[in-house]
Amino acid sequence: MTRGDLRTASATRARPLRARGASGRGVRNLGVLLVVGWFLLPVAPLALWAFANDWAFPSALPSEWGWDGLIGSVRQGALPALGHSLALSLLVSAIATPLGAMAARALTFGAVPWPRAVGLALLAPIALPPFAAVMGLNVILLRAHVPPEMGLVLVLVVMAIPYTTFTMRVAYAAHDIRYEEEARTLGASRRNVLWRVHVPLVAPALARAAFLAFLVGWSDYVVTLIVGGGEVVTLPLVTASIAAGIGNDATVAVLSLSAIVPPLILLALAGRTGAGPRTDGRTAVRYQAFDYQADRDPGEQK
Amino acid sequence: MSAGVSLRNVSKSFGSARAPALCGVSLDVAAGSCTVILGPSGSGKSTILRVIAGLDAVSDGTVHVDGVDVAAVPSEQRGIGMVFQRPLLFPHLSVLDNVAFSQRVSGASRAESRRHAQHYLDLVQLGGFGGRSVQALSGGQEQRVAIARALAAAPRVLLMDEPFSALDPALREDMHELLCDIRNALSPTIILVTHDRDEAAAIADRIAVIQAGALLQHDTVDRIYHRPLSTGVSRLMGGLNEILGHVHAGMHVSPLGEVPVSPGTPDGPGTLVIRHEAIEVSRCTEEEPSASGVVGHVSRVRQFGPRRMVTVSFADGSEMLAALPPGDAVQNGCRVVLTLPAAAVSVVPL
Repeated sequence: MTRGDLRTASATRARPLRARGASGRGVRNLGVLLVVGWFLLPVAPLALWAFANDWAFPSALPSEWGWDGLIGSVRQGALPALGHSLALSLLVSAIATPLGAMAARALTFGAVPWPRAVGLALLAPIALPPFAAVMGLNVILLRAHVPPEMGLVLVLVVMAIPYTTFTMRVAYAAHDIRYEEEARTLGASRRNVLWRVHVPLVAPALARAAFLAFLVGWSDYVVTLIVGGGEVVTLPLVTASIAAGIGNDATVAVLSLSAIVPPLILLALAGRTGAGPRTDGRTAVRYQAFDYQADRDPGEQK
Repeated sequence: MSAGVSLRNVSKSFGSARAPALCGVSLDVAAGSCTVILGPSGSGKSTILRVIAGLDAVSDGTVHVDGVDVAAVPSEQRGIGMVFQRPLLFPHLSVLDNVAFSQRVSGASRAESRRHAQHYLDLVQLGGFGGRSVQALSGGQEQRVAIARALAAAPRVLLMDEPFSALDPALREDMHELLCDIRNALSPTIILVTHDRDEAAAIADRIAVIQAGALLQHDTVDRIYHRPLSTGVSRLMGGLNEILGHVHAGMHVSPLGEVPVSPGTPDGPGTLVIRHEAIEVSRCTEEEPSASGVVGHVSRVRQFGPRRMVTVSFADGSEMLAALPPGDAVQNGCRVVLTLPAAAVSVVPL
């Protein structure tokens, strides 16, 4: 067989592979399109309704565009409700994240007796139907004269802790405690170890946990309604009360959209925290290749 | 800058583990020296480093650094650096900031600590790598940075826990040279843990052999190899020959015959140990042996690196192994005379 024959043979073999690759990409792109559509489809009517002063059946698009929805939602107290929702969610996140991290660390590194039972107890709030639990808790909180705002934060923190603990347990399972020991032998105090080594190493997981805790506060309706006792009016409460009426579609659309935006911004921020490859991700094969190429002459530029 | 380290009857037990990790270990390491702790996996080598560094508390006994009991001194104030098997470079810091870490946490400004760190990066021949991310380093370079980072803290004692075991043999030799350069430049007290006896012999002033949590012997490299205090040390150092017998009037008497031993060896039962590299093997011969020789027949020859390992059997069924110099060869069944130089013969009490 000549060299030309070889080339022909390999080209013949390569063609079906390339064809398969192209069709694979097509299927993948179609899949991505469907998933994106699945998420955007419910938002599309909301986006249209938000700027529709009038949209009567059977028109495909609003017959009159305008700001009535925006003005209506502001009049209905959307701005203070947005502020309350943000404050409540950030507070829940700020309390539940460090608590979850501490619980996860203690459970992962064996500082807790019966870790399995304690882990299950921490997950229990997810298993309980919120309405049943909250009705019972509300009585206790009222009898104990706990202010509604404090009671609300307390209950939401308990509901967020399972999420933060679980997220942080996954992170600590992959966390090498020797980074912290190394820092100590380098003279770092416990405080320095925490802020200069421990927190930066688990920062991506902390961001994920904080985001989940924020969502617990942000999306809650039942606890805010019952434990809050009307003292704390959040965005879901305003949205639900207006949605219950008739003819407020544009206002409801604006309120719903404003409930979607802050979590999306936070999701983008959480995704960026600690992004980038870690040394541990490298395979043994890559280590060896690096060593042979570069380490024989440490000064050589790669 | 360097300090001596003394362990006095140090024991360490971990929770519910049945056997203690360390059992009455006493060890003296002189300031500026390099001691290698050698032992099999799980023998307690790393635990010794961890109790010296203050990362684990002793269950019993005391640790002294420069004569001072450090039991109440937390790890971060002991002035003892540690390099682990994994380089453990902080992934969120650049190479230079990793090396500058100790200065930063001691309160120095960023610029000042970076200036200080650059000197130590130069020392490990990675002067131009400061701005890189640690992800852009090879395994060997990472370990060099880890050593620079530990040295930048100006430790009184540098502890190294199998620092080169993840590197390939050629890189490991480079690191041994680097360690030699560091010793010449800074004279730190070094305690290094390894399970590789060749590595131990290459870098140590003294070797401490440990097994099952107990220190078997702490001695110079030559004495550890040629004057083991027990068959355990001999075996851990790769010794293959043990002949049971007894010592009488400066001779070790066994079914093999009489072999002269070092003056001062006490009379009584004892096991003769001799390194296989130290035995001289004659060509096939019918001659009678000299005073320090024994006669046997070759029962097996196998390749042993560049040498050949010869198994010689004796009339009583016992065997000895000897390593032939490269190029020499004998055949199975040959009658040979083994000469056991008195300087290489050691007798271990039973």
